[in-house]
Amino acid sequence: MLSTGNDIVSLNTINVTRTKQPNFYSKILTPTETALYKQSRFANTPFEVFVWLLWSIKESAFKFLQRIDTDILFTPVKFEVSEIQIPFGFNLTDFKPIELTGIGFDGIHTIKSTIKFDDLILYSNSSIYQEFISTVVNGVEDFSNTHWGVKQIDSDEVAFQSAEVRAFLIDNFKDNTSISIGKNPFGIPIILKDNIEQPIPVSLSHHEYYIAYSFQLPV
Amino acid sequence: MTRQEILNELKKVISPYTTNKEMLAQINEDTDLLKDLKINSANLVDIIIDAEAKYDIEIDYDEADKMMNVGSCIDVISEKIGQKQQ
Repeated sequence: MLSTGNDIVSLNTINVTRTKQPNFYSKILTPTETALYKQSRFANTPFEVFVWLLWSIKESAFKFLQRIDTDILFTPVKFEVSEIQIPFGFNLTDFKPIELTGIGFDGIHTIKSTIKFDDLILYSNSSIYQEFISTVVNGVEDFSNTHWGVKQIDSDEVAFQSAEVRAFLIDNFKDNTSISIGKNPFGIPIILKDNIEQPIPVSLSHHEYYIAYSFQLPV
Repeated sequence: MTRQEILNELKKVISPYTTNKEMLAQINEDTDLLKDLKINSANLVDIIIDAEAKYDIEIDYDEADKMMNVGSCIDVISEKIGQKQQ
């Protein structure tokens, strides 16, 4: 199942008071997931960050599956994070670089999770900084062919975000003058080379002053 | 409430979450919240919570996932208002 899904949440703009209200977070978390937070390993993570971490994981999982089944609807509580691994001594730090890119997540302190949707199991890696949460979801635990990037930008205008994330993604390709980013008839982003769709699933996201992409190459 | 009245009120609920005010002024039942109004998906729960407060209704998970365009939002709100009045 070759696909990819990503999401980015700018933590500077979330409504902390609202996020902590049960009528809000109960639309995102299941009771089992809410109980996960009470485990001591989340002691250094504010509850609102936990809620938006799970949102980011679920939205990424939805985008992963939407490429395969375009009729799927996004109901956060139907995507259940069943396992979550946090690096020992995890603390929120500032995002120092303007941009960060990588292939896979070996050697990077990410939060890993397993997500269940009906009978399907998906896997995620999330990077959390004081400023944002960025997640990538894959269909297998091996992310070694998953390319990803996050970047801080100068404007939160939608058209600017959209242009910047496309340019940031295209930078990955050597012969990038023939590469462009389009959308399929279902509104899902696709990579085109000389206007021909490439078999490389891609996912784009932006929120406020942050943009992110992921794409998956076959093993 | 008629569907038009709900739509007019819905515009006010949606307004804080879109910068596309020109499109907001012209919304109709086919307008897509994400694609047309460029609302960030992270604000969808906010819209549902604001709609619940505005109409004194409760929208559960299965109904919330249908609220992707204005027409389906009106369907859900209209049904909930109807249930409240019974």
